[in-house]
Amino acid sequence: MSFDAELDAKGLNCPLPILRAKKAIGELSSGQVLKIVATDPGSVKDFEAFCKQTGNQLLSSAEAGGAFEFMIKKS
Amino acid sequence: MQEASTTKRLSAEDRRASIIEAAKHLFARSGFHGVSIDQIVKEVGVSPAILYRHFKSKEELYEAVLHEFSCTRESYVETVVADDIGFEQVLRGMTRVFVTSIINQPDLLKMEMHSQLEGHVASQEFFLNRWKSFTDYIEYNLTELINQKKIQPMNVEAASLIYQGMIREVLLLKCLRSTNRLIEMTIDEIVDEIINLFLKIITPA
Repeated sequence: MSFDAELDAKGLNCPLPILRAKKAIGELSSGQVLKIVATDPGSVKDFEAFCKQTGNQLLSSAEAGGAFEFMIKKS
Repeated sequence: MQEASTTKRLSAEDRRASIIEAAKHLFARSGFHGVSIDQIVKEVGVSPAILYRHFKSKEELYEAVLHEFSCTRESYVETVVADDIGFEQVLRGMTRVFVTSIINQPDLLKMEMHSQLEGHVASQEFFLNRWKSFTDYIEYNLTELINQKKIQPMNVEAASLIYQGMIREVLLLKCLRSTNRLIEMTIDEIVDEIINLFLKIITPA
């Protein structure tokens, strides 16, 4: 899946990955995609809630090698 | 006998939950090492065989208690999604969520205190990880504010330690101790005041 910006939030506990994603999305245009990589297991639920509340679209949420990868499309 | 037949009717899932619930209170009161399997089965009213059917060891049961706490882990999402929210508002919001969560489950705080003394590695990591939300947030944002020259350079790790220490002490004061100290203030008022002081330290006039 292609993306327009990438955010490395590995090693950080929520809500910091959420806050940094919020800022990164703010710099994108509508329809662009942000890829986020995090290691906090709490980030899975948190990014779901984040997208629900902000109206941005969670395209995918996957786990690989102890890290969680999220693709979020700006609304 | 009547009681035994009543307890038998619990489903495996309910039985498991009742063991975790009883163990939680005992671990909170006496720590991991201070509680025996015997005490737990007595408290739940089951035989050791039934307990061992659900948990292989006391260790596994302790981890299940921690896991249950982690399922109720605070969510800070609502606090941070609001527009134009700055360092101070997020810090206040996060702290309120965290403090409320501890007040609602003081067993968590008691287990943390025991784990500090017992040196139980898994649990120390678990409790450290809960505080890490604060330390990460504070260290990252203070570093950013320093780089933007909005505040004076400082040791950000020391600053986050100060914050963690203050909040923990308030929780201990209000959740675990019976003392007259600051008795006229609610926990929210103390926390608000402490955050004011913290902000004054990091942004001197």
